[in-house]
Amino acid sequence: MMNAVETRTEDPDIPDVLGAEVDSWWKIRLALTRRSFRENWKIFRRNKVGLLGLVIIAFWAIMAAMPTVFFATGFWNPATYDPVTGLELDPPTRTMVMVERITDPNTEIDRRAALLDGRIPDTLQIGDTFDLPLQPAPPDARHWLGTDPLGRDIMSQLMHGARASFFLGILAAVVTVVIGTTIGSMAAYFGGIVDASLMRLADLLIMIPGVALLIVIGGLFTFQLWHLAVVIGILSGFGGTAIVLKSQALAVKVKPFIDAARVAGGSASHIIFYHLIPNVMPLSVLYMMFTVTGAIQSEAVLSFLGILNTDTSWGLMMNLARTQGYLLQVTDYWWLTVPAGLSVTLLSAAFFLVGRGMDEIVNPRLRRR
Amino acid sequence: MTAPKLPLEESGGRAPLLEVDGLVMRYDTEAGEVSAVENVSFALARGEAMGLVGESGCGKTSVALSLLRLAPENARYQSGSVRWEGVNLLDLSDQQMREYRWAEISMVFQGAMNAWNPVYRVGAQIREAMDQHFDPPLGSSETEQRIDQLFQLVGLDPAVQRRYPHELSGGMRQRAVIAMALSCDPKLIIADEPTTALDVIVQAQILEELKEIQQDLGLSILYISHDMAVIAQVTDTIGVMYAGKMVEFGSTQEVFHRPSHPYSFLLLSSIPSVTGPRRRPMSLEGTPPNLLAPPSGCRFHPRCPWATEQCRQEEPPMMPIGPSQWAACWNAEQVPQMGEPAP
Amino acid sequence: MLRYVIRRLIQMVFLFLAFLTVTWFLLYILPGDAVALKYAGNPNIPPEAREVALQRLGLDKPVLIQFRDYMVNFFQGDLGVSFNQYPRPVTEIIGERLPRTLVLFLAALVTYYWAGFLAGKYLAWRRGSRGEMLITVSGVGLYSLFLPFFALMMIWLFSVQLDLLPISKFLDPEKWRDAPFMANEVFMRLFWVTLTAAIAMFAASFAALRTNNRRLERTLRWGGIALAALWFLFYWFGTPSGQDMRVYAGDIGYHMVLPVLVLTLINFGGVMLLTRSSMLETLREDYILTARAKGLPEGVVRDRHAARTALLPVVTSLVLAVATVIDGGVITEAVFSWPGMGEILISSVISEDIPLAVGAFSFIGIMALIGHFVVDVLYGVLDPRIRVTEHG
Repeated sequence: MMNAVETRTEDPDIPDVLGAEVDSWWKIRLALTRRSFRENWKIFRRNKVGLLGLVIIAFWAIMAAMPTVFFATGFWNPATYDPVTGLELDPPTRTMVMVERITDPNTEIDRRAALLDGRIPDTLQIGDTFDLPLQPAPPDARHWLGTDPLGRDIMSQLMHGARASFFLGILAAVVTVVIGTTIGSMAAYFGGIVDASLMRLADLLIMIPGVALLIVIGGLFTFQLWHLAVVIGILSGFGGTAIVLKSQALAVKVKPFIDAARVAGGSASHIIFYHLIPNVMPLSVLYMMFTVTGAIQSEAVLSFLGILNTDTSWGLMMNLARTQGYLLQVTDYWWLTVPAGLSVTLLSAAFFLVGRGMDEIVNPRLRRR
Repeated sequence: MTAPKLPLEESGGRAPLLEVDGLVMRYDTEAGEVSAVENVSFALARGEAMGLVGESGCGKTSVALSLLRLAPENARYQSGSVRWEGVNLLDLSDQQMREYRWAEISMVFQGAMNAWNPVYRVGAQIREAMDQHFDPPLGSSETEQRIDQLFQLVGLDPAVQRRYPHELSGGMRQRAVIAMALSCDPKLIIADEPTTALDVIVQAQILEELKEIQQDLGLSILYISHDMAVIAQVTDTIGVMYAGKMVEFGSTQEVFHRPSHPYSFLLLSSIPSVTGPRRRPMSLEGTPPNLLAPPSGCRFHPRCPWATEQCRQEEPPMMPIGPSQWAACWNAEQVPQMGEPAP
Repeated sequence: MLRYVIRRLIQMVFLFLAFLTVTWFLLYILPGDAVALKYAGNPNIPPEAREVALQRLGLDKPVLIQFRDYMVNFFQGDLGVSFNQYPRPVTEIIGERLPRTLVLFLAALVTYYWAGFLAGKYLAWRRGSRGEMLITVSGVGLYSLFLPFFALMMIWLFSVQLDLLPISKFLDPEKWRDAPFMANEVFMRLFWVTLTAAIAMFAASFAALRTNNRRLERTLRWGGIALAALWFLFYWFGTPSGQDMRVYAGDIGYHMVLPVLVLTLINFGGVMLLTRSSMLETLREDYILTARAKGLPEGVVRDRHAARTALLPVVTSLVLAVATVIDGGVITEAVFSWPGMGEILISSVISEDIPLAVGAFSFIGIMALIGHFVVDVLYGVLDPRIRVTEHG
């Protein structure tokens, strides 16, 4: 699981009982963490649902790593395969026959004819055949999932989109855990007015529709991916996660070792950071998984609506299909929407499944009887 | 093997109400077949109080649930019968069985705390059973009256029926459970650890009241408990179960004063006795066996300090010990005089 | 019970004030100049609007005065004027859009909660923990479907391929060209008729929950449904105004099918999984054994004892899910161009119509608060333990 404390600073408040061997202290915790990780892995491994999630995440992790390999080995040429600036200069063509020449610009021109604008030689007569360059092009050997209307490789965008999703999800999750554990532990430790005000704020954050809020914020400010991650992390960490972790911290707070630390003269910050947070952390990992699901979905929605300022993401791929008018042509141009949409679904479901698998570790009641 | 039955004259000529004969019940689990009830036989007469004792997991609750056919879905009745006034309950359809439940046999579950559905009023949950079983149905005022009477009978204020379960104390809840068990005039009440969750004083009161009610109404009661001392105060006969088998059966008097199976002997010797013969307290070592693979021979032999080679090989049948006492032990005759096992 | 409701109500008022403060803080304090820049720098804003807006913002005034003005304006129903639909006040636009969102939202909510609860109940009852993997994975799959993508697939399937349902919008302009009614007039009528029918149904099933008589319970439950259906039919076919509007109301209803279906399916999985695990948990309780021992028929054990208690965690989850459900509604409206609050929020954000965006967001927040309150009260009604300890 997570290990919160890696090094220790000189802290005069740390009682001698614990401070006797300062450098071995974190080793003990590391060993404990490793042991509980092993035990929990044993439980988790039996849970098929959680394993399935883990397999899907691993698949996407490999996908996200692929472009680096492809570019480094020269298998992919950045000029063609870059997810943002890449362009296929030699798209596949389809042989067409000229049926009717459109001369009058006021005639109702169908969209497909308009696309041909500039791509057909002027000299063609009715009955001539010509090669129409296809852009977006369907999948072929060079572009496994075809290209988008701007001539960029879909597969490459998909892989880079996975990177963006991982980056966003993990950053949001880390922010959630840091804020959630800190707020939850503080509320539990201090109680009284601190607890009341923090928890009322958390109640409020739970009630605010997050996506609606993100849309408003995204409309007012230029929204980068990491901004989004931080905002999602704050919303989820200060909201639901803090409430759940507070009750967990309350349960830890009454344990004898907290009293021992207090009697030994431990300060509030020492007890919160060295005793409460490390004990609440495992539970927070569970909520981290659900945050990742939410973050990936929110990002995709905002990109899809064109509110997020980002280069590559699955939502953006669908946004392009939408603004270029391919959204409903699922049969003809499926590669523009289906891979991206399925990817969002799969990866966010995977984190949710892992979260459910972990739920069984955290709530022994749910375990197979 | 013959089913041990109390001789009729012994029980005052009362006809047997319930006869369990060679009941074998197993649970199908992922790990294999668990032999929960193995060849258990006993009989219960009208108006009689019987106790079933044993450690947790010895199959006593499985026996109780089998009488109502309420064992979990993975339970398989392999052989044997449960005869209620001559009718084998195991042969009935689900629909027919439902008519026996509560109207003939009702039950007081262990931990009355959880026997009540938290979202309905206590009275409503009693009324529900009465609506189900009275034919012709009682009018609402009659039902009301009857519940009032039942509450008075168990020593509760009739106003309690309009409360929710969580508003009652543990003792009140248990009394209300007894009132509910009596609501359809059953002939037999199965009381599964009826007082375990209560403090000692309330425990004694409730047992006393149950005994009075039983005698006043001429009910039969089957007590199920891990505590032999508690059971002995209120029962006429006792069955001792170990690892799914009945190891001793007989009148409470005889079993209590002359336990003839080492298991009962050890169970009793841990109870300090004031009036009975002085025994050196001895403790029961070890844990109950794994019922996925029960021990060969006598199931108790791995824990029995007096076990012989015969015990390891051959399964002892129920053998008569006294006029109304049976035990399944090869050395039953010696047990009452046993002290420290020979080295 | 009354005290419980009042306490909740007071809490809600405070939460509402806190919500307004947070919104204000977010929009006016943190990046004060950013908003001013958006206001002043947007070339599409009519010049009159710019002046009004800058005056309203009063950025030169002290912070506390700004806050006071904002609160006073809000409670006087003055949320400013829309830039794009100048000079329509924001409140007027919201007043037009809010019912459309509510209808869509309530229709989906009722459908998916009912369907999810029923499915979870039967799955738990019939199969115990068998098929766990399949049920969980499909439930989670439904739950984490990427909404715009899923909506798109549904539109493609039902509207493009099968040509059964309209692609988007809430009415067909062709049909309404010569309509003697305003769209909103018909819409509001539809809203009220449906609402009264739903209330009748809800009241009946609520009474059924509270009664102890099983025969009466069944009568109430089915009677409620029959009554609602009868009232619905009577209004549209029996009354003159209903007959006139029927065709148009039908058109709106027809446009609602697909968005409601999408919202239902997306949210169905979560409710189903939760009900199923809650029900499995309940089935292991002693009172279920008691109910069986009482000789109650299996259907009664399932519905009156197991499902009734298993409902509690499901309703608790609804408390937490209100915000998520509203989010889903916002996205669905955007995809289907359903002209409600979500659609106006997104289009105003994209076209930088700040007063409208802020107003729409405030009202979406209010919707969430009210939803929260309603669910809280409902929970108090369903769980006697809460009810009694609160006033005890």
